[in-house]
Amino acid sequence: MAFKRDKKEEEDGGGNPFENIEKTSVLQEARAFNDTSVNPRKCTHILTKVLYLLNQGEQLGTTEATEVFFAMTKLFQSKDVVLRRMVYLGIRELSSIAEDVIIVTSSLTKDMTGNEALYRAAAIRALCSITDVTMLQAIERYMKQAIVDKNPAVSSAALVSSLHLARSAGELVKRWVNEAQEAFSSDNVMVQYHALGLMYHIRKTDRLAVIKLVTKLTKQSLKSPFAVCLLIRIACRLLEDEDGAPGADSTLLSFIESCLRHKTELVIYEAAHAMVNLRRTTAKELAPAVSVLQLFCSTSKPPLRFAAVRTLNQVAMSHPSAVTACNLDLENLITDSNRSIATLAITTLLKTGAESSVDR
Amino acid sequence: MEGSLLEPTLYVIKGMVILDNDGHRVLAKYYDKNIFPTAKEQKAFEKNLFNKTHRSNAEIIMLDGLTCVYYSNVDLFFYVMGSSHENELILMTALNCLYDSVSNILRKNVEKRTLFENLDIVMLAMDEICDGGIIMEADFKAVLQRVALRTDDIPLGEQTVAQVLQSAKEQLKWSLLK
Repeated sequence: MAFKRDKKEEEDGGGNPFENIEKTSVLQEARAFNDTSVNPRKCTHILTKVLYLLNQGEQLGTTEATEVFFAMTKLFQSKDVVLRRMVYLGIRELSSIAEDVIIVTSSLTKDMTGNEALYRAAAIRALCSITDVTMLQAIERYMKQAIVDKNPAVSSAALVSSLHLARSAGELVKRWVNEAQEAFSSDNVMVQYHALGLMYHIRKTDRLAVIKLVTKLTKQSLKSPFAVCLLIRIACRLLEDEDGAPGADSTLLSFIESCLRHKTELVIYEAAHAMVNLRRTTAKELAPAVSVLQLFCSTSKPPLRFAAVRTLNQVAMSHPSAVTACNLDLENLITDSNRSIATLAITTLLKTGAESSVDR
Repeated sequence: MEGSLLEPTLYVIKGMVILDNDGHRVLAKYYDKNIFPTAKEQKAFEKNLFNKTHRSNAEIIMLDGLTCVYYSNVDLFFYVMGSSHENELILMTALNCLYDSVSNILRKNVEKRTLFENLDIVMLAMDEICDGGIIMEADFKAVLQRVALRTDDIPLGEQTVAQVLQSAKEQLKWSLLK
């Protein structure tokens, strides 16, 4: 059996070099991290093996994890970029298993305020994964600085980490709303998206503040398609709440409708999906949303066809007549190579089709 | 249609997985502790996913209440998962970014062997694309920049001869590819 397997591997041309590694031997190898002079290449390889094992679902005991973690901290003395980045990754992966992980706080704080941008972003993310609420205050100043950093990677890392931290330290993160607001005006599309996410998270319990935020943002055109999608979702949330502020409703609705003419498919679909799912949408208001979905039915991208037909299927449940116009397009999808698309097309037609179309 | 409006949140990705042509996990990340909490459940899901997807290149499937977009090349399968209500195009954007990043890291040789040779960089790239379920970066060029192998930054004296040769080779290769 063993022989057979070897042979198969040879045929594969080596196959997976990581296939036969064992936990105990890798942990043994990890002791090399403690060597006085660090060999970056060798250590990176060993660290990769450790992370690969964890990724495969191998369980490390607390003692084992702590031992590796402490050995890993020795690698901070190396300046090798890849190795350093792998160490950050290792810190995050092991932070939930190993003990006394706060030992690396000062090393990480040093890196997050250093000159190397590639280190800064990754160090922030690693630091936030080991910090608890009590220690957060000590790094608050650096976090605020990082959120408004000019480097998009640093800013995004800080914003996203803040959002993760908000689960455990909601009150503290709330104080960073001004920085988030500043980051929002960034030119970088991802920073804008992450900043909006954080701003909304901080304010979401304060309905009036959210209304103010959304009304303001719907008037300016956002650069980031992701941010527009998020804004559409927030607007929908406001519209669904019954006691909406008078006047705000129509602006929100026309904002969502205007997104049907956005230049990216991502946003167009998001808007169409929103229009269709709003409880208040009338059959007449549905028409423009349905017609963009109809267009999507004949694209070459399977996920887009799938999205369109799935949404049309939803419309057909409440407003079958609105979908009748798409029947021809749906009939073409019955033979789609993607079975899910075909099935959805058939079930939609069952709701909208008339007797006359059954023959075809 | 109750409840199908989307949650206004940044947490949109439930998982990212790379499988080989036997359906074995190469790398996998799950970001929602409520779905597949243990490795056993994850692997069962991956097996199911692989069985349903490895023969067709249909690019999207609904499975176990998740929307999975996928793409395959030679002997590797790339998946991105989101909730069944999620905007499919957002998931597709993440998948494209994952695939393009890996493809460029492997110098367009998208196959298992080269992936394992560059496993560390691929791990870093996956980490740059998604953090705890939030899309960090959707532009593969930015991802590549952030995982940049900059061996040339190490002072020459500290590099081995092989490293110097390697980095020279890589630079030459890249200048030719451009």
